[in-house]
Amino acid sequence: MSKLHVDSVIKNFDTKQVLTDVFISCQKGEIIGLLGRNGTGKSTLLKIIFGSISADRKFVKIGDKISTGLFDNRKLIKYLPQDNFLPNHVKIKTVIELFCDKKDAELIKKNGLIMPMLNKKSKQLSGGERRLSEIFLIIYSNSKYTLIDEPFNGVAPVYKDDIKDLIKKQSIDKGFIITDHDYRNILDIATRILIIHDGGTKEVKSKNELIDWGYIPETA
Amino acid sequence: MRIIKAILIFYQKLILPTLVLSGLLGLIGFAIAGEFSLKTIGISYIFLGLLFHYFIYEIRNSNEYYFYYNLGLSRLSLWIITFVLSLVIGLIFIII
Repeated sequence: MSKLHVDSVIKNFDTKQVLTDVFISCQKGEIIGLLGRNGTGKSTLLKIIFGSISADRKFVKIGDKISTGLFDNRKLIKYLPQDNFLPNHVKIKTVIELFCDKKDAELIKKNGLIMPMLNKKSKQLSGGERRLSEIFLIIYSNSKYTLIDEPFNGVAPVYKDDIKDLIKKQSIDKGFIITDHDYRNILDIATRILIIHDGGTKEVKSKNELIDWGYIPETA
Repeated sequence: MRIIKAILIFYQKLILPTLVLSGLLGLIGFAIAGEFSLKTIGISYIFLGLLFHYFIYEIRNSNEYYFYYNLGLSRLSLWIITFVLSLVIGLIFIII
């Protein structure tokens, strides 16, 4: 299986160095929870791995292939951004057929949560419905690695368990890197937890370490 | 095939407003000069295509770029697509 290897990521915004020599690796079957305070560069890191923003320095390799851009990554990495990204003039079923293999497209279409939305355009859905359809789309999409930015944000609590189950099931065939401030849900599904602190990634072994790193208060 | 479908979805959003405004400019040209010119519509189409790309995708729906990024189309490639398709459609108006 082709391992995702991310190394030497450096990103500066003007004079502020946000990411300083970040290292992450991910394999099929892994769900990596990426945590960190606001402004520590979690989303920036995901976008750099995906290829949508440039870094001052980066090395991203999938298997033997060094990633050079979005076109190269189109069948390897998919990314769910924080905000809604579906074009508002296209039906959900059309988007599903574009993103997923035939088998996975049929699976989503048969899902009870998605089925009522299939013939609707994105603009006809509520914010939560749109987010739910985007999450399903990205999780099931044709890729080896999936980067997910705040999947639990804006989604009704009743659906959060469905999303977690879905990620767990799909992680049999692919690797996930997920970031969300709803850290309890991340802890529930992650096989490995990383925290971004002072521009670098540190591996976290227990919830107590999150307190030590200043990510959650001692009372949590 | 998926890339072509993605390009069609992308350009679909630009074609109607660009055609309508180019047609209106053609009518304004007709009212001023007393002669209906497809050349005016063609030239307007080329420039308005780029202008609508800027307003629709850069200003109003910039997050939609992620839809196309996920399908392998970069921002630069989408700008090139807009330019080429607008040029081709504009030239058709100019030539006929």
